[in-house]
Amino acid sequence: MTLSPAMRRDFADRDDLIAYLKAEFPDAARTDAHVSETRGGRRAALERLAVINPERYAATRNRLDGAVTRLSPYIRHGVVTLAEVRDHALRRVKRYQAEKFVNELAWRDYWQRVYRQRGDGIWDDQADYKTGFTRQKYADSLPKDIEAGETGLACIDGFAHELHETGYLHNHVRMWMAAYIVHWRRVKWQAGARWFLKHLLDGDPASNNLSWQWVASTFSSKPYFMNRENIERNTNGVYCRKCPLYGGCDFEGSYEALERRLFPHKPPSER
Amino acid sequence: MMNDSVIVWVHGDALSPTNPALEEFPGAPAVFVWDDALLRRYGTSLKRIVFMYECLLEMPVTLLRGDVAAQVIAFAQAHDAARVVTTDSPSPHFESILTRIEQVYPVEVIVPDELIDDDVHLDLGSFSRYWRTAQKYAFGRGGD
Repeated sequence: MTLSPAMRRDFADRDDLIAYLKAEFPDAARTDAHVSETRGGRRAALERLAVINPERYAATRNRLDGAVTRLSPYIRHGVVTLAEVRDHALRRVKRYQAEKFVNELAWRDYWQRVYRQRGDGIWDDQADYKTGFTRQKYADSLPKDIEAGETGLACIDGFAHELHETGYLHNHVRMWMAAYIVHWRRVKWQAGARWFLKHLLDGDPASNNLSWQWVASTFSSKPYFMNRENIERNTNGVYCRKCPLYGGCDFEGSYEALERRLFPHKPPSER
Repeated sequence: MMNDSVIVWVHGDALSPTNPALEEFPGAPAVFVWDDALLRRYGTSLKRIVFMYECLLEMPVTLLRGDVAAQVIAFAQAHDAARVVTTDSPSPHFESILTRIEQVYPVEVIVPDELIDDDVHLDLGSFSRYWRTAQKYAFGRGGD
């Protein structure tokens, strides 16, 4: 067996590194050549860790401008461990102030344990959809307009561009995108999960796929969906204000009305 | 134990200079292999590679590419190693690479620090069932 030539480690600056990687990984650059402002490395991870605020996190994490940590790419690649992040949080605040924060760290631990147990089975539906539709009713591939950010929905298109350009989406945005793709467009969750894994810096088959399945209802007791009011509130209305469909978009209405529209075959007893 | 008989295989789940295999064998030759087939299979975009590469540049590690098991074995041979040390991962792809390396070299797999000690039995049927037990351990020794 022959050793491949060693890849470079000396670079004048980040641009030099990026030019080298574009040349070395042309397929990756063809998929998408954006580079995130989020830098890799332990130093960058520790800078983020130093400014976490577990108490504010608990109160604001569902909002796009909330005190989320942006540590996920570093945790995903083991640049910092969950135990390290937990210990750091508990040095800053009392245990009761860190309850929610540690609970959310535990989701990652949970997904990793399920992955160890089920392996590549995490690509399969863990159960039937609980939407009133069989899996055959869902399309196999992601519609082009979603990937291109051309659905006409300002929020969804904005999120698609953000994913491609930054490799990051707020967790709430991931849930909205997944719900839109699976429930509004009736596409198999696997198509959306594959798209996310191409781009998310924290992309991990376990957290990613199992969260998609949680939204889809193949790994939860009911489908997750949202309405426009939820999106508007948690984004401070930045997308709704500029959306040409405002007031008449796909997400308009009460949860009851949306549920009847999205899942017409679901027995009322399960609603 | 002599460090010069060991090589460290670094993979994408432990891209830190504090990787426990590197800490246990400081100075041992270490290697990371870009898995071309895996990158193609996932259609991984450039920004993910840049991020990982920046992590790797802070680590004392030789960067190779190609078939991971074959490259790790070739690297071990080039360094006259007697065995390979790495860190654990739940990925089935990691398992299959490990199995191939083990056909040629003994491999020691070090488990990085976890949120919850591994000997605790946890029901993985749902997050709430898991959390019922996990919450007793998830706060480690740092809680009040």
